[in-house]
Amino acid sequence: MPPIIAISDYSWKYPHTERPALNNINLTVEEGVFLGIIGPNGSGKTTLAYSFNGLIPGQYHGIKHGEVRVLGKEVEEYGGGDLPKIVGVVFSDPEAQFTAMTVEDELVFGMENLGMDIPEIRERLEWVVNLTGLEPLLLKPPYEISGGQKQRVALAAVLAMTPRVMVLDEPTSMLDPISRRRVFDVLARLKREQSNTIIVIEHSLENLVPLADRMVLLYNGELLLEGETQPFFQQMDMLLEREVFPPGAMHFFHNLVKHGYYSGELPLTLEAAADYLEHLFNRRHHTEAEAS
Amino acid sequence: MNKTLLGYVPEESPIYVIHPFVKLFFMLVVSLFPMFITAPEWNSALIILILILMWYSRIDIKILRFYVPIAISMGSVILLTYTVFGGNHPEFITLVRVLGIRIYWERVRDAIVVYFRILPMIFTMVFFLSTSRERDIIVAMRSIRVSFAITYLFAMALRSAGMVMEDFSTVREAEQARGFDSAGKSIAYKLRRYIMYMVPLFAISLRRSEDFTNALVARGYSFTGLLRNPKRADYILTHYQFTLLDYILTAVIALSFVVLLIYRYGLGYFGLEDSLIIGWLRQLLI
Repeated sequence: MPPIIAISDYSWKYPHTERPALNNINLTVEEGVFLGIIGPNGSGKTTLAYSFNGLIPGQYHGIKHGEVRVLGKEVEEYGGGDLPKIVGVVFSDPEAQFTAMTVEDELVFGMENLGMDIPEIRERLEWVVNLTGLEPLLLKPPYEISGGQKQRVALAAVLAMTPRVMVLDEPTSMLDPISRRRVFDVLARLKREQSNTIIVIEHSLENLVPLADRMVLLYNGELLLEGETQPFFQQMDMLLEREVFPPGAMHFFHNLVKHGYYSGELPLTLEAAADYLEHLFNRRHHTEAEAS
Repeated sequence: MNKTLLGYVPEESPIYVIHPFVKLFFMLVVSLFPMFITAPEWNSALIILILILMWYSRIDIKILRFYVPIAISMGSVILLTYTVFGGNHPEFITLVRVLGIRIYWERVRDAIVVYFRILPMIFTMVFFLSTSRERDIIVAMRSIRVSFAITYLFAMALRSAGMVMEDFSTVREAEQARGFDSAGKSIAYKLRRYIMYMVPLFAISLRRSEDFTNALVARGYSFTGLLRNPKRADYILTHYQFTLLDYILTAVIALSFVVLLIYRYGLGYFGLEDSLIIGWLRQLLI
């Protein structure tokens, strides 16, 4: 199957800057993949996110080299309103994404823009409200709901447009831990029940890593590392050097590896870490019992 | 009571069964009534009618106290404009002379008439804002086929006002967290200090406008062609049905306006010459 997004030799430089925000990026995203993009601030993550749905170069000035193709077509070749049908973006600021006067208005706004008719809008609204648990908030105005709820609304508003690719640019950076969890719960449900391609840019890896099929590391505008999640995090020393801090459990096991207490793969979730640890203790207990 | 950007609305109210258009129509038409009524007692009667409607709609009448300073300052400005700055009119009746300025009966009378014309307009506006959420205003506009682009611009203006208010509150809290305290300071000091709120507020607004534009583009929104091609599903309107009651109320409001015009210009009612209050004041002052 051809990739849904194919980026080749792509560079982007904003005006009046010394170096490009993105430099010679080559990346393909297959349909149905959950891709995590990480990297320190200023590494070009948001620029890459905006490039996926044509906000760059559509809304920004700059110099572009290379290609960003969505479904085999350059992003600039899409007519107005066509690309949002394929690539939906959720931004980091929940406040600025709320463009209507109630949650319900916000959810239907994108669908109306895409020219859907009333029965289809109703059907999709029901589906997305059910998926994201927004039913009690439907008639609330933006100033009566929390940042976390607003971010779920933003996610739902994009989901309602049923894009084939969802790009989330630091969707939880302004949220408290519980709201973060809720946003990732929705993403987990999406991954489980839908076939969307999901690209998440995130600093907090605790929630991202268990869901991601593949990971990408951006650093100073360059793609330094890409691969499936498990092997990706085997390059732990390199990630730590590049200011990427893995989830605590993974970091703990990495230290066990360094001290020679453990030699297997690093756990991606807390549950996996608990299992590995139990296995480690059992084995040690067994060895000690045999020795005595 | 629920807070809106424009005021407070009751949790439950019998007026919520009425279509938003009827409320907007009431506000627009009834605000015109005082333009054709000169006698203050009739405008006072209109105020009482609106107060009864507010009570019936379960609006907390206490919210009117927010508007008292506006009413007082407006009344003062009108009175000063008509009397102190009303000019020299030898043909008018002089009531009193203060610091060489003649205060005329006609100018005092006119100030009272104007004030009693403006008050019902304010009450009508308060009644509307106390029974309508922002969405109602948008729905009312869309239901009379105002272009989507225009109603959306209006909605964005309301939304932006809300965002600026929230940002202002955040900036103010941030300044207070750093020890800024204007309590007990002079107005000049406060004004000077308030300027420092503007810098972060502008910075946030600029960033927000960029994010807002990106969010609109990401939702497939574009102003291009919207004015030329108004065909677009309006899901929200499907929640609001124009019922028989709405037709009746619209007709009653329109008819009452026509009746008012007939009474005013056909039969000569509501004029200054028949006003009891003005007659009584004239006897009192002259």
